[in-house]
Amino acid sequence: MTTTQAPPAVRSLETVELRKSFGGVHAVDGATVTFRPGKINALIGPNGSGKTTFFNCVTGMIKPDSGEVTYQGADITGKAPHRIAAAGVGRSFQLCRIFPRMTVLENMLVGVRPEGLLHRLRGSRNADDIAKARELLRRVGIDHLESSEARDISYGQQKLLELAGVLMTDPETIMLDEPAGGVNPALIGRIGTLVRELNAEGRTFVIVEHNMDMVMSLSDHVVVFDRGRPIAEGTPAEVQGDPRVLEAYLGI
Amino acid sequence: MPSASSTRTGFDTALLGIKGLALVAAGVLVLAFPQLAPDAFILSVGVVIASYAALAVSWNFVGGFTGYISLGHAAYSGLGGYGTALLILEAGWNPWLSLVGSAVAVGVLALPIGFASLRVRGASFVIVSIALVLILLLVSQSWSDVTGGSNGLRVPRPFGEDVLRPEQHERFFYLHVGLIVIALAVWWAIDRSRFGTGLKAIREDEDKAQALGVPTFAYKLTVFVISAFFTALAGGMYALWFGSLDPIFQFSILVGSYMVLMSLLGGIRSLLGPVVGAVIVGYSLEYFKSAYGDTQFHLVALGLLLALVVLFMPDGVLPALGSLVDRIRPDKATSIREMTAAELVEKNKEIDEARREPEEVSR
Repeated sequence: MTTTQAPPAVRSLETVELRKSFGGVHAVDGATVTFRPGKINALIGPNGSGKTTFFNCVTGMIKPDSGEVTYQGADITGKAPHRIAAAGVGRSFQLCRIFPRMTVLENMLVGVRPEGLLHRLRGSRNADDIAKARELLRRVGIDHLESSEARDISYGQQKLLELAGVLMTDPETIMLDEPAGGVNPALIGRIGTLVRELNAEGRTFVIVEHNMDMVMSLSDHVVVFDRGRPIAEGTPAEVQGDPRVLEAYLGI
Repeated sequence: MPSASSTRTGFDTALLGIKGLALVAAGVLVLAFPQLAPDAFILSVGVVIASYAALAVSWNFVGGFTGYISLGHAAYSGLGGYGTALLILEAGWNPWLSLVGSAVAVGVLALPIGFASLRVRGASFVIVSIALVLILLLVSQSWSDVTGGSNGLRVPRPFGEDVLRPEQHERFFYLHVGLIVIALAVWWAIDRSRFGTGLKAIREDEDKAQALGVPTFAYKLTVFVISAFFTALAGGMYALWFGSLDPIFQFSILVGSYMVLMSLLGGIRSLLGPVVGAVIVGYSLEYFKSAYGDTQFHLVALGLLLALVVLFMPDGVLPALGSLVDRIRPDKATSIREMTAAELVEKNKEIDEARREPEEVSR
């Protein structure tokens, strides 16, 4: 195990009684979740169970109505997304979001961690950043595409680019929204391997995913959502046998 | 965007040479224009076009980097003009000091305006940006003690009375060109900075940029203030040249729209796009005006021209040229379009599976 990263903190992401409604719909309805630090956490649940809204509340994309989100013990409830990113939580988006009319390399150079004014005014093509970007592109296997516009590369490659872009911010915790969505089986395997490697370096993962093969083979800890709150959690094996989970999924 | 990779082909070198030559030729032509212009009228048209270019380049700090389309930038050029005039007339400042002082004041004023208006995106931002111009138009028309109202405000000439009109035009032509060069240099520097990369990311996908740690609001506000400052400089420069201000022309939606149209036409994502757009639109405007006299027909003709460009070059003239060059590029080693049959099958499979943006599928 290579530990280039700092050892995982004792506490990671936690939410207490998190709520968010849209009109009369309680998308997130009193969710209290503790993700395991240093582990690969999966968040599963039927469509419409509030996983993505929960994700967005945690990462600051939408403000929760009530409840609390803490990261490593610090309150981050309702903070702006860039502050949460600066705290060390990176995220990808469902359906993959990249910057289409920027080159692959430029896409990589967007990610920033807290830095001074001078660093912001610095050339974006300084050697340190570019070396880091190329290293990460090589790692996900799309370094040969660095000067293509991001809209010109394939969807699978865009997914890899998004993941590499998140890594530019050096997050201790990485939240992935459907990393296997819309990509072919070979690529799913590659993404899984990457997640495992990054986890071995000490990064905590929280993954929303519908691909059960991936969830069950990859994750250490599974949280099952239904109607905006967790209904079960445990190891993949525990969750698979849980009658509440079967009911939520199959409606038996 | 120039790629950072070091594999430069002969084609690229040739292209670079052609680009450099074209740039030098254009530069020489611009500098020699006052000598080449047959009469004072043509020279004055040159100043008007240069003024348009200065405005469009200033507008493009916000429009080009962040993709926020402000239709109300005439507010800042108008305020720059009135500010310059009033500082000369009321405070007795030196004209050039007044010009800079007024632009700084407009930049400061842009802070609260940007703070309020940059909270909304897309169409909402466009509407909000128009509101300010309309308010300023009413205020400047009604507050005639200060602005002279609809009677207009005479701006003292910065050069003495002994400087004749053609000489006047020539000096202001070079002054405008100088302003354009400074604004372009700042745009270029931002484009290459991390700040600029963050701004372009905002244009492409604001939420995504913020999730990657870009403090989007602070970035937008900063570039908005820079844009207002340069727009006010351009407005003030025009006021010093033209010598008289009327609210209806200073705070005009039409002027604000020209800035947008010129930039879009030339290409908002390229450094020189707004300049190219300003030359095309400015020249056409003056041509149509002289062809159709005092009627409003020049606006119809201009609208038609723009419709054609939007139809055939939606990204603007310069990007269209760029992709034309890419099409004739002999080796496409870096292009992903060059792939084996197996890769193509793979890619097609991926396209089928993935929900892609419609524009990408149609490519």
